[in-house]
Amino acid sequence: MLTIINTRENGCHILALEGEVDASNSVMIDEAIQKLIGDGSKSIVVDGQKLEYISSAGLGVFMSYLEDFEEKNVDFKIFGLSEGVLEVFKILGLHQLMNIYPTKEAAFNS
Amino acid sequence: MLLAILVWLALLFVDLVRLFGILNEMESGIAIEFTWILEILFFLMVYLFYSYSISKNAKNEFINLIWRAASTGIFAVGVSALIFLFYGFISESRLSQEPFLRNLFYHINFALTTVFLISSALLWKHLILYQRSKRVVKQWQAYEFAMLVAMFFIFFNQNTLDYSFLFGLVLLIGLGIVLSGNLKWIPYLTFKEKWKSLLFLSIILLSCTFLFVQMQGYTDQVIYPVNLTDNLFLISLFGFIFSYALFSFLVTLFNLPTSSVFEQKLTEAISFQRLSQSIKPEENEEQVLDILMDSCMSATYSDGAWIEMGRNDYPDGFLKEQFLDAETRTELSELMEGSKVAKEWISENRPENLSPLAIRLDHPKFESVLLVPLIINKVPIGRMVLCKEVKDGFNKEMMNIVSTFVSQACISVENHRLLNQAILNERYQEELKIAQRVQKALLPATLDHNSDFDLCAYSNAADEVGGDYYDTYKLSEDRFVLIIGDVSGKGTSAAFHMSQMKGIFQSLIQLNLSPADFFIKANAALGKCLERNHFITSSIFLIDTSNKTISHARAGHVPSLYYQSQSNKSDYLGIDGLGLGILRNIQYEKHVEQKTFTYHSGDVLVLFTDGIVEAKNQKSQQFGFERLRTLLEVYHELSPIEIQSKIIDSLHSFVGGDIKIDDDYSLVVAKFN
Repeated sequence: MLTIINTRENGCHILALEGEVDASNSVMIDEAIQKLIGDGSKSIVVDGQKLEYISSAGLGVFMSYLEDFEEKNVDFKIFGLSEGVLEVFKILGLHQLMNIYPTKEAAFNS
Repeated sequence: MLLAILVWLALLFVDLVRLFGILNEMESGIAIEFTWILEILFFLMVYLFYSYSISKNAKNEFINLIWRAASTGIFAVGVSALIFLFYGFISESRLSQEPFLRNLFYHINFALTTVFLISSALLWKHLILYQRSKRVVKQWQAYEFAMLVAMFFIFFNQNTLDYSFLFGLVLLIGLGIVLSGNLKWIPYLTFKEKWKSLLFLSIILLSCTFLFVQMQGYTDQVIYPVNLTDNLFLISLFGFIFSYALFSFLVTLFNLPTSSVFEQKLTEAISFQRLSQSIKPEENEEQVLDILMDSCMSATYSDGAWIEMGRNDYPDGFLKEQFLDAETRTELSELMEGSKVAKEWISENRPENLSPLAIRLDHPKFESVLLVPLIINKVPIGRMVLCKEVKDGFNKEMMNIVSTFVSQACISVENHRLLNQAILNERYQEELKIAQRVQKALLPATLDHNSDFDLCAYSNAADEVGGDYYDTYKLSEDRFVLIIGDVSGKGTSAAFHMSQMKGIFQSLIQLNLSPADFFIKANAALGKCLERNHFITSSIFLIDTSNKTISHARAGHVPSLYYQSQSNKSDYLGIDGLGLGILRNIQYEKHVEQKTFTYHSGDVLVLFTDGIVEAKNQKSQQFGFERLRTLLEVYHELSPIEIQSKIIDSLHSFVGGDIKIDDDYSLVVAKFN
């Protein structure tokens, strides 16, 4: 089960993920990010505080936008990942390519 | 046959006794009761013979049965007619007054009449009991019993015509008439058969009358010393045979005009059955539609018809015309589109509720049409149009039967489609099994190693095919490569990428690259062929047994576990490295590391995929890294294959015996000597 809550704060789009991301629902994240990019958003922040699990397919979604973000100068950040989820990002090496912050404040003040 | 002979013997016996009887009357005489007993015996024998022979030959063809009765009748009448003629010739001579001869002929006549009556009665029984119900069977049994009693009646009334005789006669004839009401076999005759049965029945009626009149003639003459024929049994049988034949005759006669309706209904039932059985997987639905159109046309006496199917199911359009040409069809279609009734009909009903609609048309040839929608699963798939040259040619019954035909045909078509789908699914299953076999072959059958270390490996896919990969390569006598990989996602797409990984590994590794260089080149190659949101994680180990070193690099894969015998501890090999296919440019170089260390005897290296550490139990807890690490510390002394099975066993018991692990997982264990 995955729910995505889309809010705006200080000109940033916040995508709050709740639940588990696997192959069956990773499409939802893909669509959400696609839409924000299409709308010309320049700052996307993912709130991972309530994200319990992410599978390789979910990581694949974030990964597939890395080049787009760079090309279109989109500021993409993730914060509040639990230890287990962060570990998954780290193992794959994505933490070297993405801006991952422990808290919301850290994400906004960077 | 034996019974028949017995019967004839009995008959002759009776004859002889009869002749003696005449002589003896003048002298002393055998009791008349003896004659009666033989007579009854004869009746019973004939009855037994015929009930045996009819039940043996009964093919249940009504016409044959009636013909049998009619032919017996003709024979009996013919013989007595010959006797009559014979007496006509010799009327002048003394022979005509000879009582012996007269008695002989009398007996022959009696026997033939009996045979005719009893055989007919048994044939009637067959017809009456054609549609057996408890009531009819009871009636018949009662009648048979009454007849049996009637045979013995002669002992009581001594062959005189008194009130008890009349009472018995009325009772038996009454029963016979009641039985004669059972004429259910008649509707099953075809028109032609009805004419035939009318002929046969009239023959039976005539023979019956003739024999009866002849028999009454004997009664009045005094030359016959013993009266065999004024018997309650025989006379009531006459009554029964006659009344049943008469009833059948009349009912058949009055059934003649409606027999075509019955035949029509029968054809409809057969069409219905054809519609429901016609479709087999290798046949196509067009055959069903053909049968449908034929059946509907014959059911409604249509002069023309066509079927057209929707473009969804038949891209080039399916059209079939019967007894009309394309031009007429177009004219009629246009007229129908223009008809007010049709417009209302379409607008008022939802497609799934449409029933056949009869429309009156202003067309020079066809003045009425019946528009029938073909609907499968609430979706209209086409329509059938029946045309008639007369006005208002479709009545309610026709529309009902057409609806029934159409719904049956639609069910057949639907079943056919479902069946084809099932067959297709089966084929896919088969293909998947092939894929599974091919993929199994992609994993190495034997693992390259030398005496310096032992090696074993295990892989399990969650679906038919998976995305886990491991392989070995022998660079030289003392240099070996181990690799493990995991493609993101699972199932078929993962399996395809896994086979690409195998190709890249097997070709690049021959270039004698360092582990880091291998990943840089592999990343470049995979960047060209992986889908955008797919990546592969991998770990590679280069084991050099000559100087006992291991060089390794990690590309986003779960860190491998290593047990050091010197410190008696196991730990994960921490090294940075980005998954393959994530950065598809030269930048990747910056994100891959390589380390080299020395191994010692007793060290154990465990390569695995995330399916193991991420496996969850019912409480949603993960198997986790720590559990795996402890396991290796406990079981490090065992052989690689034993360590492997310990890990897999404890994984299964953690997850719970019955629960399937929902991800691909693989394990490679190397132990150094």
